[in-house]
Amino acid sequence: MGLDSSLSAELRRVTRELASYKIELHQTRSYLQCILQNTSDLIFATDAEGTLVSLSKGGEKVLGYSWIEAVGRPVKDFAEDPELFEPAMASCLKDGCALALDVPFRHKEGKTVYCNASLMDLINREGQRVGTVGICQDITRWKRLQEDLVQVDRLAEIGRIAAGVAHEINNPVAVIREAAAWAGEVVADAKGLGADDRQELEEVMERISAQTERCGNITHKLLGFARESRPSRSEVDIHGLLKETIAFLAPQLKHTTIKIELAFAEGPLLVNSDPRLLEQVFVNLIGNAIHALLEKGEDDKQIELGTVRKDSEVEISVEDNAGGIPQEHQGKIFELFYTTKPPGKGTGLGLPISQNVVRSLGGEITFDSKVGVGTTFKVRIPVS
Amino acid sequence: MGDLQDIRILLVDDEENLVEYIAKRLLKKGFTVKATFSGEQALEAAERDHYDVAVVDLKMPGMDGVETQRKLREAQPFLQCIVLTGHGSIESALESGQEDAFQYLLKPVDYDALVASIKDAFDKKQKLQGAKFQEEVQRIQASGMGAHGMRKALADLRKIYGVG
Repeated sequence: MGLDSSLSAELRRVTRELASYKIELHQTRSYLQCILQNTSDLIFATDAEGTLVSLSKGGEKVLGYSWIEAVGRPVKDFAEDPELFEPAMASCLKDGCALALDVPFRHKEGKTVYCNASLMDLINREGQRVGTVGICQDITRWKRLQEDLVQVDRLAEIGRIAAGVAHEINNPVAVIREAAAWAGEVVADAKGLGADDRQELEEVMERISAQTERCGNITHKLLGFARESRPSRSEVDIHGLLKETIAFLAPQLKHTTIKIELAFAEGPLLVNSDPRLLEQVFVNLIGNAIHALLEKGEDDKQIELGTVRKDSEVEISVEDNAGGIPQEHQGKIFELFYTTKPPGKGTGLGLPISQNVVRSLGGEITFDSKVGVGTTFKVRIPVS
Repeated sequence: MGDLQDIRILLVDDEENLVEYIAKRLLKKGFTVKATFSGEQALEAAERDHYDVAVVDLKMPGMDGVETQRKLREAQPFLQCIVLTGHGSIESALESGQEDAFQYLLKPVDYDALVASIKDAFDKKQKLQGAKFQEEVQRIQASGMGAHGMRKALADLRKIYGVG
């Protein structure tokens, strides 16, 4: 009797334990299933021989094969170059894992899919290697953007060269023009020239002048494209312009918690300047503030636009309470093509151009930034 | 305005061909013209003679237009400078603006615009110089020095300002 009851107690205990293991197993499995079904990454598992035994939903999408099609095939067959995939697997075999490898896979349709792959050994309870797990992120788009950026950089360089060439051609063209004008004066004063010859020469001089004029127009247009030649001037209300800028940026502010506060000086703030260029600067500065705030996690996101009237100038400030600019970046933010934004997002042109624009209007941009507190950009421009 | 011959022009541009033709045309028009091909040459010329208007190219090897302009004005405070700038040199043009250029002309410069600018610059120089001369004269008169001293001081002034 005593034995029976202790046996049945033991049985109950084991049954309970088993049930709790079952629950745990079920939870772990659904957790795993949830990851494999929902990740956009390519996650796979192989057996000890490198044959694919599991493939995430994201993996189906990245490679273009369904789970059924893929499982049972050697995983290296999906690499663009199976020969190159072997060393990665081998190094994983040696060290237990291989991280952040650049592995190109081949999509079912033949195109190359660039992946950032990490491989890890799968070890059983006895400590034996039973397979490999791979987690791969599709970075094809990122690679393309990087290539685009190189292309953009090259185009910008070509633009600079073209502007330089146009600039250099200006001088000889000017010499030709002056030489022709001088020759024209000499001809006009010359004695002993036949009427026909005189007319012929005058026509030639005129033609030279007209053609150099044409050259000048071409270089001017090219240089004007490379950079607007000179700012236009008209009376502008800075307050109105800032409000227009906010309206212009409204689509970017939609669906965000960013609040815009206005701390304007009283009345309209009139300056004699170029409204189009000023707006370009404000769009850049406020756009930067929005971008910085979107990177900040917490909810208290605010941009304060302030204006101060000083004797002969006005000061416009754009203050955000985002993460601030790290000290090591502060010296570089006005450098051409310097950007901390991801490839394809920033060109590194905004601030350098803004600085050029403000200087061409006779003003100055300054900034003050503290990490964890925020950044304030100040634009000072003369009233007239 | 007086005779064009009274307007003494100092040309400074490293593009020798250009300077040559502009100088010829200005001379033919009747101006007095000195052509120089670098900032250094221009300063040497300014040490020897007085000029009314300098036409300075902004971009030159060696001493650039900004520095040339500054040193020329140190040597001859009433000298008016017309600065020739290429496209895309707005920053340096503004920098030289701190040196009080009389006017900026975009290259390739329009000859008629240059001539008009030179005449205007000369007028401004005459006015400034005349006003300063009057001021000095009044200062001497107010200083209460004797007739002899005054005559000598005025003679010195005439020499300095080249007027009177």
